[in-house]
Amino acid sequence: MKLSSEEVNEIALESRLVLSDQELENAVRYINNFLDMLDRFKELDLKDVEPFSFAEALECPLREDAVKPFANTRAILDESAHVENSLFKVPRIMEE
Amino acid sequence: MAELYELDLSSASEGLKAGKFSPEELFDSCWKRAQSCEKNIRAFITETEDFAREQLKNSGKSSSIFDGIPTVLKDNLCTQGIRTTAASKILGNWRPPYDATVWKLLRESGAILMGKVNMDEFAMGNTCGNSAFGATRNPHDISRVPGGSSGGSAAAVAAGYVPFSLGSDTGGSIRQPASYCGIYGLKPTYGMVSRYGLISYGSSLDQIGPFARTVRDLQLVMQLLAQHDPMDSSSFREKNPDFTHNPNVNLKGKRVALVKEFQSFTLDAPISDAMKHVEKILEDEGAIITEVSLPIISKYAVACYYALAMSEAHTNLERYDGVRYGYTVQDAKGIKEMFERVRSYGFGSEVKSRIIAGTCLTEPSRCEEYYVAATKVRTLIAQEFARAFENTDFILQPVTPSLAPKIGEVDEDEMKGYETDLYTLPVNLAGLPGLSFFTGYAGKLPVGLQLIGARWSDPELLNAGVVLERRLGSPKIADGGVE
Repeated sequence: MKLSSEEVNEIALESRLVLSDQELENAVRYINNFLDMLDRFKELDLKDVEPFSFAEALECPLREDAVKPFANTRAILDESAHVENSLFKVPRIMEE
Repeated sequence: MAELYELDLSSASEGLKAGKFSPEELFDSCWKRAQSCEKNIRAFITETEDFAREQLKNSGKSSSIFDGIPTVLKDNLCTQGIRTTAASKILGNWRPPYDATVWKLLRESGAILMGKVNMDEFAMGNTCGNSAFGATRNPHDISRVPGGSSGGSAAAVAAGYVPFSLGSDTGGSIRQPASYCGIYGLKPTYGMVSRYGLISYGSSLDQIGPFARTVRDLQLVMQLLAQHDPMDSSSFREKNPDFTHNPNVNLKGKRVALVKEFQSFTLDAPISDAMKHVEKILEDEGAIITEVSLPIISKYAVACYYALAMSEAHTNLERYDGVRYGYTVQDAKGIKEMFERVRSYGFGSEVKSRIIAGTCLTEPSRCEEYYVAATKVRTLIAQEFARAFENTDFILQPVTPSLAPKIGEVDEDEMKGYETDLYTLPVNLAGLPGLSFFTGYAGKLPVGLQLIGARWSDPELLNAGVVLERRLGSPKIADGGVE
């Protein structure tokens, strides 16, 4: 086992996921099986290999750095249950 | 005359243009067909009959072949003002404020939206059973899966709800359900079709593409969708793909390779029989059958794919926080509690597993060993394909090792289940086009195979598909569980 259930739980909490006992048990099995699968990479010599990128994607398209209003902002706000004065309102960020 | 719902896209369009029937009559026939099958198939997440009938009021005004043609969209494609869920509880009743480019192009051409269809949650899965809205069933045998993740899009076309549909393919999610449902599905070259408005899963792998009951119809859809979109930075420029249908196209002198390493893998008998049959047809048509060796792909593609897909998914799914859209809670004491409650309830178990795995692989202490290593393995995979396509025009291979499995007949070991995606996901890693094509039936179950081409060879790939369809015959409409 590469990761203990405490470690997996910690990773889940980093992702803002609170797991039930059953979910945690499944996640521990899943992650460890997955990491075993990834051990295959160790058979390869990757020292001089560049990370992948699409050959055609080297040129990043740019546009003018100017504010461009979105026509349908009302529709965006209408979908949120946390709007006040056309702003998103979130619960307190600092814990008490 | 056949029922109108039985018409393919080309024939339906010709009939409309010739005034043989009206767009309303076509829609009514398709809608009635969908309603009669739906209790068995369960393809829809959201039916959009009212929206469609509004659209029909303006039909007949455009010269586009799509004018008045009903379609359905996978529910990860944004439709302005129409609920879009990605089959997840976390998006709730979210209505996007804009249209995906692919839907904008179709809508402006007069296509009629019949509904948004089922999928595995956030496109993670290959059965269309991993959905917050329940499982879709295979229209050829309702005890079996339609495949996934774009199972609703495939089932709706196979059962005759609509003549064509759109799905997305991150690791096989168009090609595998097309195969299980006995129709044609194209995963285009990465960059050939705009991804703007597609709810992201693995952004470097995701690609939108069409399903249809003829290859010609795939060509018609691609002719419309393959255009540069400034809203998608990966959208191609300076390409001018020509998808014009030529019924007399041939394969003389084309080289079609089989993968050496795949030859020893076990396949269901109907699939290995279909491979032999198609090889023979290709030779009859003047193609040269060759062999390529893909040792890196055969051994490392599955691990590489899942490492990258999960890493990208974990980043893409960070945005679901309960603030801006979808499911939320009102009484959280702080923002951390709100995020935790929303995400823990809103995501399904497969999605949670993949988010946790992606978080794990990209943590600073593990990133080099897993995520960065996977991006390097991906380079080797793309290079291996590029070398192969120096000596061949196409690669012929299965889509899956077996025919559509029974619902619930899944591998207990997820990793073993992932290994069955070996035939589809390398295509996404290298950004290649892949055509899933119908070859015939084994009993009542359809048997599909796959043809893969080099990057940007989508038009040639579909031309090859035209030849194969001419020789193998087109699929018939599935009974949809209705006698």
